[in-house]
Amino acid sequence: MNVTAQDEIFNYVEGVRQALGGLPAATREELLEDLPEHLAEVLAEGGGTLVGRLGSPSTYAAELIASAGLADAAADERPARGARLGQLRAQARDAMRRADVRFGPLLGYAKASEFLVLLRPAWWVLRGYLVAMAFAYVVDDNGGPIGLLPRIGNNELVALLLLAAAVLGSIWLGRRGEPAQRMPRLLLRGGGVALAIFAFAGFLETDGQARDGAYLEMSYVSEYSDVRDVFVYDSRGNLVQGAQLYDQYGNPMRFGDPGCYEEGTGNWVASRQLGYPYCPEQAPFRSSAGNSDPRRAEPSEGPAEPAAPSPSGLP
Amino acid sequence: MDPTQLLKGVLDLAVLAVLRDEDGYGYDILRRLRAAGIEDVGDASVYGTLRRLFNSGLLTSYVVPSDEGPHRKYYAINAAGRAELQRSGKIWHSFASVMDDLLRERGTA
Repeated sequence: MNVTAQDEIFNYVEGVRQALGGLPAATREELLEDLPEHLAEVLAEGGGTLVGRLGSPSTYAAELIASAGLADAAADERPARGARLGQLRAQARDAMRRADVRFGPLLGYAKASEFLVLLRPAWWVLRGYLVAMAFAYVVDDNGGPIGLLPRIGNNELVALLLLAAAVLGSIWLGRRGEPAQRMPRLLLRGGGVALAIFAFAGFLETDGQARDGAYLEMSYVSEYSDVRDVFVYDSRGNLVQGAQLYDQYGNPMRFGDPGCYEEGTGNWVASRQLGYPYCPEQAPFRSSAGNSDPRRAEPSEGPAEPAAPSPSGLP
Repeated sequence: MDPTQLLKGVLDLAVLAVLRDEDGYGYDILRRLRAAGIEDVGDASVYGTLRRLFNSGLLTSYVVPSDEGPHRKYYAINAAGRAELQRSGKIWHSFASVMDDLLRERGTA
């Protein structure tokens, strides 16, 4: 069989497939199953083109539907939903079919759907993972960010068990094939779409977390994010005023906004200080209070710590 | 009279009959029907009929790998199919003999 014969067969089969568009997919594929080999035999007879020998694909399809006793099934589906909706569905189906054939070669297949069918088990695995993630997201309300594992109560073992169960369940469901009844089939497809949306949202959130996380680690801000002011004491316990803080790269370290909440009123007032502390009158320790070494009195005092690595050469 | 109209009613019977002694695949069954003298049968009608008989449980099918071409789907008649063949065959015989008698009477009259 040469290439043109194969093309002729392919085109004829596609024509019949389109004309069978009103049938449920499974029935249609059943009817088309042995069509290519039959067409090959017909061509081998050498009686002219397929259309010349068998009539147009739509005639062939009509005869196939009538003789297979499917005329009622094909006719039933349309008017029940309204002719307009049926027409839209048929158009959408046609567009899909054309896209299917057009994009197939990009992937190295005759039709894109041939390639997508190969990916079906991969979707089953992914679907299981997403179900586990969605389940954990709903059940586990610790308010923490979504990770990559379906954690419930911060337990890895539970997460892995849940993941395994969901993936195996999804594969089992996938291997059973599409449900024959309408309702379960719609539920299954709707669930798939909902999971895809959930996956997209979760993906964006997790991606955002990953990027934020990297930023936080580098700038070291997270530990001191609630620090509003910094008080530096010298070795004798005197408050240093107008201090400038730098990290080991010489980058200025900034904490809080340059201003104070006035005691009593609680109003925010811009600071006039040129460095830390912004609000010297709110210093936690005062040397004049008789305590000569504030660091000994409060060894774990937080705000003084960032001052330690600050380089020399400050005013 | 259009023979294709007549054929519609008896194609099931004809297909069951050509499968009675030997299993066959679609094209092969079509050839047997034509060889038996049913020239006007459409290819699609034979495939549709095979599918319908299979779906109603009168035929079984199996796939045979072929060396020179694509794999072939063979159809075989089963017990239910043979029972149907016998039942429909009887109806056909009685119908045909009624028609024969009718035509003979008219012809002689």
